[in-house]
Amino acid sequence: MKGWILPKNSLSYWLRQLRKDSDLIGPLRTPDGDIVFESVEKIHEIVLDPPASLPSVKEFFLPQYETVFVFKTDTVRPIQEKRKRVIFGLRSCDVAALRLLDRFFLDSQPDPYYSERRKNTLLISVVCNRPDPTCFCVGIGAGPYLKEGFDIQLTDLGDRYMVEIGSPRGRRAVREYSFVFQRPRKTDLEDQFEVQLSSTARFQQRINLEGVRSLILSQRVDEGFWQEVANRCIQCGGCVYVCPLCSCFTVTDRVYQEHIERVRLWDACLFKGFTRLAGGILPNDAPVSRTKRWFYHKLIYYPEGIGGFGCVGCGRCAVVCPSKIDMATVVLNIKRVSENAVSG
Amino acid sequence: MRSVVNIYTPLKGKIEEARELCPDVKLYRVRVPKEVHYYPGQFFMLSLWGYGEVPISVCSLDDTQTLEFTVRKAGFVTSAIHQLQAGDTIWLRGPYGRRFPLEMSYHRDVVVVAGGIGLAPLRAVIQYLLKERRKVKRVTLLYGSRTPDGLLYREEYDTWRASDVKVVLTVDCPSDGWRGNVGVVTTLWHQVEGELREAVAYVCGPPVMIKAALTDLFLLGMPADRIVTTLEAHMKCGVGKCGHCYNDGRFICTDGPVFTYKEIKEWDLTL
Ligand SMILES: Cc1cc2nc3c(=O)[nH]c(=O)nc-3n(C[C@H](O)[C@H](O)[C@H](O)COP(=O)(O)OP(=O)(O)OC[C@H]3O[C@@H](n4cnc5c(N)ncnc54)[C@H](O)[C@@H]3O)c2cc1C
Ligand code: SF4
Ligand code: SF4
Repeated sequence: MKGWILPKNSLSYWLRQLRKDSDLIGPLRTPDGDIVFESVEKIHEIVLDPPASLPSVKEFFLPQYETVFVFKTDTVRPIQEKRKRVIFGLRSCDVAALRLLDRFFLDSQPDPYYSERRKNTLLISVVCNRPDPTCFCVGIGAGPYLKEGFDIQLTDLGDRYMVEIGSPRGRRAVREYSFVFQRPRKTDLEDQFEVQLSSTARFQQRINLEGVRSLILSQRVDEGFWQEVANRCIQCGGCVYVCPLCSCFTVTDRVYQEHIERVRLWDACLFKGFTRLAGGILPNDAPVSRTKRWFYHKLIYYPEGIGGFGCVGCGRCAVVCPSKIDMATVVLNIKRVSENAVSG
Repeated sequence: MRSVVNIYTPLKGKIEEARELCPDVKLYRVRVPKEVHYYPGQFFMLSLWGYGEVPISVCSLDDTQTLEFTVRKAGFVTSAIHQLQAGDTIWLRGPYGRRFPLEMSYHRDVVVVAGGIGLAPLRAVIQYLLKERRKVKRVTLLYGSRTPDGLLYREEYDTWRASDVKVVLTVDCPSDGWRGNVGVVTTLWHQVEGELREAVAYVCGPPVMIKAALTDLFLLGMPADRIVTTLEAHMKCGVGKCGHCYNDGRFICTDGPVFTYKEIKEWDLTL
């Protein structure tokens, strides 16, 4: 029978073993009550049942700020993080997002920084039993559970986890400690199936990105619609920063007394200076062209270039956007407007 | 997943010559420690530690250990590059981007259309055409600059003319003694001999000029897939990762910077 069973009281033992040669990252509660992914000191502090809209784990592969080279007395040294990591508790949508980023960053001209981190990281994702109201991964095939693409996927069955293995790296992490895992019984599989069904049924939003993509491609969304979206955007960049699939960066040099660091940091296509040319020429000067760029990239071009939508339905942009023009809202509006246009 | 080479590590080059072509433009001849194969239309990221990296087209041909770049002082990094002299170090990585489809010019007339610094990548094209001179028919260079002082590579025109390249110059603001044309480069189509419909065009210059030239050539009957240009965009990586040059589903750095008019007809080039 496929998979393994991990009794919950063995989880901390297993994680402690995995931590021996790796940094363990997991969801922790800050004193303010926020939940963030951080290096775990005390395993019992991991939040085992966090809300689905956790921060994404993007920063562990593409940090918000990272030194890529150090230059000193005429020599260049690339700064490559070699540290091994285990990330526990990330969500299916985040794993799905990483699989897409893999194609983007690794398929041609592989990015050495992303590649090194990905190679050194084991992902232990947890199926969402209770999606948030903002979640819509289910319509995209990016959750609440995955059929493939994960290293190790856990499903919470109450007092135990169903453990599925999806990669050689995942297999090693289970096999080495096989004594804490048990063979699943038929009832375990039934329970897992039950959880999958009930979780899937709990989604409050059913969003079909494919349908919206065709609406846009068949010119059913006019410029006025995008203009309205753009008018509301205050260009804070929040959506870009929280999105597990937004990966644009900028590069700049920092000069210190003895050395120079070349650093790369997150950037956002919604920012006015993003495409600025020498002499201050600004393509995409109009906010509407930037707004369209963001949505078109995710809905039209990502599928063409990468083979999947540039959105996994994590709902994070809906949580941060102060203007209520997040992916789900805009997509649902597109549907409504074009349906009205047809019926009216 | 195996470890991958660091595609962002620049090579250390040595400037052999830094020559001022006009007040804001310098030509650099750079020697690199290992062989580098490149082709007209491609660019390198020139890199100065403490300042940053900028995309610059290669403006020379063939020599795998000495490359030439023409740099206009346009801002932060290019001003720092302008401080460099022969003997100084400059870092570079590349070549990147799509080449000019130069085989297309075989057995055809060729029109090279340039504005200002836009002649830099096209200089490599002209050098290529000179090398393959027997394979191409008539070659016309239409080159416009704001002022006569701004015309680049002036001492090379005679060599080009000697190889039967028709060099037609125009300026916006003539100085005393200027005997060439006055006006924008797109007023010079009548100078091209033969049928534009059958010819090939390579175009580079400021966005407005590119836009006007592409549209004109197309309206004059040249097929859209034989009108070729190279575009500028903000670039931080050169390899399709940073996202800055992304436009309409394509990365200017890896899918371009060379495009045929056919490929970018829908784009608003002067946006
Ligand atoms: C494919 C290609 C080929 C080119 N070929 C040539 C050529 O052959 N010759 C030539 O002269 N030019 C060429 N250019 C144009 C050249 O790359 C620009 O003129 C150059 O990048 C200007 O850089 P700058 O730093 O001097 O200018 P700036 O105006 O200072 O900056 C240029 C860009 O860097 C960003 N920037 C500025 N300051 C910072 C900062 N502190 N931190 C982060 N970002 C910053 C800006 O947003 C701007 O987009 C080419 C461009 C492309 C895309
Ligand atoms: S666009 Fe919004 S919902 Fe989609 S993946 Fe990005 S943050 Fe999540
Ligand atoms: S979060 Fe909302 S307001 Fe902020 S940049 Fe994104 S769309 Fe605009």
